[in-house]
Amino acid sequence: MKRFGFFFPLLVFLFYALLVPPGAEVVAQPKEVILGAALPITGGQSREGGYFKKGYEMAIKEINDAGGVMVKQYGKRIPIKLIIYDDKSDNTTSVQLYEKLVAEDKVNALLGGYGTPLITAHTVVAEKYRVPYVNGGGATGAIYERKMKYIFGTLASIEKLAFTLMEWTTGQQDAGALKKPLRIALMGENTSHGKEFRQGVLKKAKAAPDRFNVVMDEPFEINLKDADPLLQKVKASQADIYLADARIADYITIHRRYTELRLYHQVASYGPRGTEQAARDALGAASDYIVSCNWWHRDIPTAAAKAFRDKYEKTYNDTAEWFPALAYESARVMAKAIQDAGTLDKTKIRDALAKMDMKDSLVVGGRVWYKPNGQIDNEYVMMQNLPGGKVSLIYPKDIATGKAIVPIPQK
Amino acid sequence: MTIDIPALLVSAILLAGLYATMSYGLALIYGVMKIVNLAHAGVMMWGAYAAFVLIVNAGMNPFLAPLFVVPAFFFLGIFMQRYIVRRVMFAPSISSLLLLFGIWLIMQNISYLGFTGDTRAITTKYTLMTFQVFGIAISINRLVVFCVGVLALLVMRQFMGRTYMGKAIRATAQDGDASKLVGINTDRVMEIAFGLGIALASLAGSLMALIFAFDPDFGRSHLLKGFCIVVLGGLESMVGVALGSLVLAIAEALSILWIMPALQDFVSFALLVIVLIVMPGGMVGLLAKFKKT
Repeated sequence: MKRFGFFFPLLVFLFYALLVPPGAEVVAQPKEVILGAALPITGGQSREGGYFKKGYEMAIKEINDAGGVMVKQYGKRIPIKLIIYDDKSDNTTSVQLYEKLVAEDKVNALLGGYGTPLITAHTVVAEKYRVPYVNGGGATGAIYERKMKYIFGTLASIEKLAFTLMEWTTGQQDAGALKKPLRIALMGENTSHGKEFRQGVLKKAKAAPDRFNVVMDEPFEINLKDADPLLQKVKASQADIYLADARIADYITIHRRYTELRLYHQVASYGPRGTEQAARDALGAASDYIVSCNWWHRDIPTAAAKAFRDKYEKTYNDTAEWFPALAYESARVMAKAIQDAGTLDKTKIRDALAKMDMKDSLVVGGRVWYKPNGQIDNEYVMMQNLPGGKVSLIYPKDIATGKAIVPIPQK
Repeated sequence: MTIDIPALLVSAILLAGLYATMSYGLALIYGVMKIVNLAHAGVMMWGAYAAFVLIVNAGMNPFLAPLFVVPAFFFLGIFMQRYIVRRVMFAPSISSLLLLFGIWLIMQNISYLGFTGDTRAITTKYTLMTFQVFGIAISINRLVVFCVGVLALLVMRQFMGRTYMGKAIRATAQDGDASKLVGINTDRVMEIAFGLGIALASLAGSLMALIFAFDPDFGRSHLLKGFCIVVLGGLESMVGVALGSLVLAIAEALSILWIMPALQDFVSFALLVIVLIVMPGGMVGLLAKFKKT
């Protein structure tokens, strides 16, 4: 008995030594990969926050239904646990919740919230603790100009939006639909969003003085109470085209007055605004022919975009807008980064994000990749409102569903 | 670049009607109770949603909706004064400020629960409808809001000058203790005054909803503008509020000839600071001084 008592542990040791290859580390097997996000589920941004929640949940369910995310270090697929908190659309709460996700919930990686102010505030937490972070709700370039290494964004910048709009306008000039040089009336809300938009237009105009002449450039305060002074300036500028950047409430207020004052331009745009149902209901036929740029649209005729649209609309019985689409894709990008890294090491996941090249994506251009500052640089999809509440995708050519109507018919 | 100044002035005058309508209630409540009603913005926002429900959901004529909204909010105001505001009437002013700020936040959150954060707008057959006068396009909606603003001023002046309750409100505003001594039921007067202030705020909200898109945060910037107008007008006077609205609207409109439109709010707040320093009695105080001399 005594001899067996010595022999048995030795046998176990030898057996284990034969099974484990030389050089392999003994590591604890994680039960789940934890991803966390704080979203504005209540408060001023609750509509958008709700969309993001649906997008994240749909992506994670899809990944978990396939067995989880493959992590090479453990040689198996590991399911993802998604923790979502409500930041009540409040910057301070958002920062606190991201601190909680890192310190208490011990997340492996973070997904982003929605809106430039919230994202600007809480990305500081991700960077401080060196936790990889991907968002699909913050486009303003200022977020990515802070030389942060762990922050990635799947929305192209607002400057890029302006560039896309100007490149499309150039195409219209070349096609003979618009003259050269064009007189442009430019205005944007007095926020980083509006400032970037105006800067983008001005840069392109400066680079091509034979094509563009910005005859008016004005910022305006958000929540406008009176658009008349601004629109009197637009009228006096005698511009050929009218480019503005505004949030939806101001877009409605300004464009109602624009219509009442019987202004007309060969092209009218409010940047990313135009196709929203609330605005089309509020403006009726006055919103027809408005040109807008966005990060995604449900009519993009690619397989990935269609697959998302169909699945989302079936799951939630809700029209697929860009918010859940970009949230969905951001969560998938993070899962791919973990898979590419083959580990849950945060620095290695960050490195995988920096090298990300996700093909067959639902985004415009079909590819997710990040510039050295962490922001994607894809083109925007451009749309034009048509009578009867319809929308036509007019740019880029490869995903266009119709031809732009330029100049806008005069009513 | 030649700006159409007559069109700008017409627009400013129409805007003054809107400014006055949204500031009467603020001035009335401050005048009688010396309370700054921070819930005013919440009431305007609820007024906008009430109009939305009546016009969009119930299909009511947009210009009849205020006839239902205003009485309902008058009683809400009486309820608020009797059961909530009265408890802090004689406490330090910070108590009433915080209480009414809290009520505003509660109103906002109720709206988020009931209506979500979606931007809403009321579209009627009058929306975007205009007519031309000397080549200036005048919006029907804006003209109606202006007319209601003038009408509210006339009705309030008649009410304050010719009815017992109006005179009692003025007496209480001048000296609450003396009013009690001559037999005025000041508690009742304050209830009515608060109810009227809330009703006027709801009237403003229901009319503004015909012009602006709104969400539960609606009213915040209008409240700040309302403070400027009330201070400019002289804090307690309805006529002062109307004059203050006109001066502010014209100053803002003409300011674009010299400064960028983004600085329009700067004009309002610069006026507020100047008035507080140079003529704390506002325009009405200034006019009274001229009359004496």
